[in-house]
Amino acid sequence: MADIVQTAILGLALGGVYALMGAGLSLVFGVMRIVNLAHPSLIMAGAYIAYWAFRLAGVDPLLILPVAAAILAGTGVLLYKLVFEREARSAKYSEMTVLLTFALAMVMEGLLGTVFTNTQRVTSPDYATDAFFIADVFIPKGQLYAGMVSLGIISALALFLKHSRFGYPIRATTQNREAAELLGVNVNLVSLASFAIGVGLAGAAGALVSFVFSFFPSKHWEWIVILMSLVVLGGMGSIFGTVLAAFILSVLAAFVGFYVGAVWSTLTFFVALFVVLLVRPQGLFGEKPELA
Amino acid sequence: MAEFGASEVVAARRARDSGLAGTVDKTRSAWFPLTLLAALLLLPALQFAGNYNYLIHLTLFTAMYVVMASGWNILGGFTGYISLGHIVFFAIGGYFAGMVFARMGISTIVLAPFAGLLAGLVGYMIGLITLRVRGPSFIISSLALVMIARILFENWHFVGGAAGVALPANDLPAEWAKLPYYYAFVAMAAFATWASYRIKHSKFGLGLRAISKDEIKAESAGIDTRFHKVLAFAISAFFVGMAGAVWGEYLTYIRPNIFLVVLMSVNMVLMCILGGKGTIAGPALGTVLIVAFNEIFVATLGASEINVLATGIIMMVSLMFYPLGIVGTLARRGKLPRILNWD
Repeated sequence: MADIVQTAILGLALGGVYALMGAGLSLVFGVMRIVNLAHPSLIMAGAYIAYWAFRLAGVDPLLILPVAAAILAGTGVLLYKLVFEREARSAKYSEMTVLLTFALAMVMEGLLGTVFTNTQRVTSPDYATDAFFIADVFIPKGQLYAGMVSLGIISALALFLKHSRFGYPIRATTQNREAAELLGVNVNLVSLASFAIGVGLAGAAGALVSFVFSFFPSKHWEWIVILMSLVVLGGMGSIFGTVLAAFILSVLAAFVGFYVGAVWSTLTFFVALFVVLLVRPQGLFGEKPELA
Repeated sequence: MAEFGASEVVAARRARDSGLAGTVDKTRSAWFPLTLLAALLLLPALQFAGNYNYLIHLTLFTAMYVVMASGWNILGGFTGYISLGHIVFFAIGGYFAGMVFARMGISTIVLAPFAGLLAGLVGYMIGLITLRVRGPSFIISSLALVMIARILFENWHFVGGAAGVALPANDLPAEWAKLPYYYAFVAMAAFATWASYRIKHSKFGLGLRAISKDEIKAESAGIDTRFHKVLAFAISAFFVGMAGAVWGEYLTYIRPNIFLVVLMSVNMVLMCILGGKGTIAGPALGTVLIVAFNEIFVATLGASEINVLATGIIMMVSLMFYPLGIVGTLARRGKLPRILNWD
């Protein structure tokens, strides 16, 4: 019994982190129909910002989080202006952008690998290795804090989208791009803003990831497939769906890891992605994907 | 008014279809690829003059990628389904031939067609599942395939897990040791190029090209799109698997981190995109350029991270500015040199 509770808690704690990692991806897909395969490599960049801030100045990763988010959001604006704005008129837009973000992921991996080398890194604030104990069950502090911060950020994002003046056009564009444009929404600006927010969320997630996982530049390939499984299961573009999927899959993965073997734990996400794509491509809360 | 029976109408349609499929550019040059092939067959004679092992190795490596890129092109170029996971079939071919070679001593060159068939069969089955989705979903599922295969191969003890299996080297003298593999890869490259030419200009190929233009219209025009797509997937897996088979014996080991690398998978795609997806000369041209780029980067800059960076930059630039690739862009502008017109 204690084993089951323990495994579930570890799964839930990780799920919180995965939720934030996937949220930006989901937002960008919802608004721009871009499957941003570079998202995990941008999370990696955020993690390196947190790592060096901690290593050089001893700044807590949770304090550096807004800075990482801001730097990455700036990068997002730049990328949008340089790369994605001109692709909006491309005939094979969705395939084109997938390939472009894939190439971008390689550029990021190459840059990070060249500058920081492929050594495993992790930030180690004292809470990262500490835990709360409740009877026999332990709750790792690092993952708990990360999960709480992540849920806080996602709630703030949800409130922003739901109730603020800037949230309406973003949601309208997610629902129907042409109709929103007809009603006077500046979809180009909305796309820019949501791409920046999405990439900024990658930066924030990076700061959390830096003390939850050990990381090295080429690890983002694994994250891509993990995050895609969350976004696809949740329904492409549905942030709530992504968060729910993050909890479902990471608890499932924790159980697989505990009862079947640690190496098969990540396989859970990969197989889930495959199965969802084939059985229910629209996921839990997504619309049926357009053909072509 | 003339009366037509149903069979005459069908016969007329058939004739028209095969005429349409068989349309070839009158300006195409067949002599250039044939001359190139002859030159490649004679190249090892240089060994009598000195040590050209490096040149032989590079040509062999290029020929291997021509096989893979041409194979990929059948699915990615003609049919328009971008797969980032074709390296899985390279591994399947490599592991099958490598294991049979290690246990029974049958040369992988003999085994290559069978390894290709196995890869094609697996491709057929995977295609039945993954080709039900299209666009970004298909691309993502292909990427997931690599990750799944990597974990499976790394934990499959029969094939040595993450450590892989060492294969015996052949006992030819050093200057001739590469030759069997060299000729095997050159023959496969020629076969792959010829086969993709034949496929492109067959009725089947016409169906594939129709799918890449507009799948729904193709379906309503009576093309069995599912059969076409899955068969195209299997054929492209066949070529990639065949290349993998011989590569293992050439390297003298098979190992997941050699056979299942995302970078190699991307290279196949990039070569087609850079050279020109859906053309015959495109994959070959792209391969020569990318292998040359890689050699220059590794030779001058060393680190493999820079190689990844450069590959990414080349891919972004060619996607953003020349999405049709070199051959495609030149052909559209009417400036394609005849020696590069192999269609």
